[in-house]
Amino acid sequence: MEPVIFSRHLDKAFRNGTVAVSGCDLQVARGEVYGLIGRNGAGKTTLLKLLMGLLRPDAGEARVLGLNLWEATREHRQRVAYVSQGQQVPDWMTLADLGRYCSHFYETWDDSLLKEHARRWELPLNLSISKLSGGNQRLAALAVALATRPEVLLLDEPAAGLDPIARRELNSCLIDVLMRGGGCTILLSTHLLGDLERLATRVGIMDRGRIVAEGAVEDWQRTMRRVQVVFAEHFAPPDFAIPGALKSQTLGPVVTALARVSDEAQLDGVRALPGVRVNVFPLTLEELFVDWFRETVKEPFASPAGISGQPVFPVPNTPQ
Amino acid sequence: MSPRLHLQIDERSGVPVYRQMMDQFKYYVAGGTLRPGDQIPSIRELAAALAVNPTTVVKAYTELEREGVIEKRHGKGAFVSAQAPALTSAEQGDALRRSAKLLAVEATQMQVPTPKVINVVREELGALSNDKATDETPVKFAVVSGGR
Repeated sequence: MEPVIFSRHLDKAFRNGTVAVSGCDLQVARGEVYGLIGRNGAGKTTLLKLLMGLLRPDAGEARVLGLNLWEATREHRQRVAYVSQGQQVPDWMTLADLGRYCSHFYETWDDSLLKEHARRWELPLNLSISKLSGGNQRLAALAVALATRPEVLLLDEPAAGLDPIARRELNSCLIDVLMRGGGCTILLSTHLLGDLERLATRVGIMDRGRIVAEGAVEDWQRTMRRVQVVFAEHFAPPDFAIPGALKSQTLGPVVTALARVSDEAQLDGVRALPGVRVNVFPLTLEELFVDWFRETVKEPFASPAGISGQPVFPVPNTPQ
Repeated sequence: MSPRLHLQIDERSGVPVYRQMMDQFKYYVAGGTLRPGDQIPSIRELAAALAVNPTTVVKAYTELEREGVIEKRHGKGAFVSAQAPALTSAEQGDALRRSAKLLAVEATQMQVPTPKVINVVREELGALSNDKATDETPVKFAVVSGGR
């Protein structure tokens, strides 16, 4: 059976030449919570819009619940809810008006759910939405989306601009949605990686228009480590590599890597090298994310001369 | 939920969330806060209280059941097993080693001599056992702060 959310070889470029999504493959199974992370401009928003059928792909496939939402009928599109970063609800209406309005269009509309979220998030029902704060407008859009009882939720940075209390409430509501009868499949983009450690079953890193790494949150937390190897000499041997390293960086005698350590024994060989110290640190998703993109950061020590073994800067005798 | 349970998820620890839950249940059992036969929170309750994906709670409970710490009674929920195994000394060692590793790194970076590090640990242990004499200090690593 096809995954609930599916994209293959998906491409989208804009008229100004920006390639937003390029060869993007994504599969999210029923009941999963998939966290999409990536730098600004990585293509997360465009991917969500392509899946939702708000943009037409240049090439490739994008389907939700087996449907190409660009072509699907309204009844089918209603099974999927999307909350974008920007304002999308008619803001001259009050939340109560908007609820009445939506109840005519959505067969699955649940007004009690709208009221419950309004109460939990302290959203006034009888004030025009334009008068709410930015964060509350976003919550209003979410309350409307959740009241449609969607089978699939696509959320573009749902927690941006929310205060910590509202964010926590939002997370609780998403948990409620998951436990409700029938369940829900959620794809969300976010920069709040701490929230993903609690919510997500899987996480994908998006870079330059496609998913460059993905994994089960649990598996990453269990196996991804920052491994630091410190040599007694001024420079690490040029051919040295940390076993399991995904990204690696050498500064004089110190080799630091983002590595997959499934078994501590894989580092035994390194530990046995004379005069070598090995430190292994657990990583949060946030640290993992930063380490993943670190190679793009210019390090003054990592000049080619430094790596080839020629001293660029004086290095103290004792490694710190 | 038992009022004495304060489970806490630390998103910055780098330890899988299900593992953090398992550890805390085990510490509660080992410390006597949870006794054999005590009911533990339902999956829904715990997922909602901690704002954690329910599949993660399922995973923690399944593992705890496999290790014999808890048992499910059909239609009634999950309970601490009659023969809930106490923490093995290997598990105690692992738990302590995690903290000790961080301590060792910090001490090395600050170039603190080993005897001084050991003294600091000894003082902290002493301070804790003094506290214990006056009031019931909860197990330190289980309770980071009030969970709910």
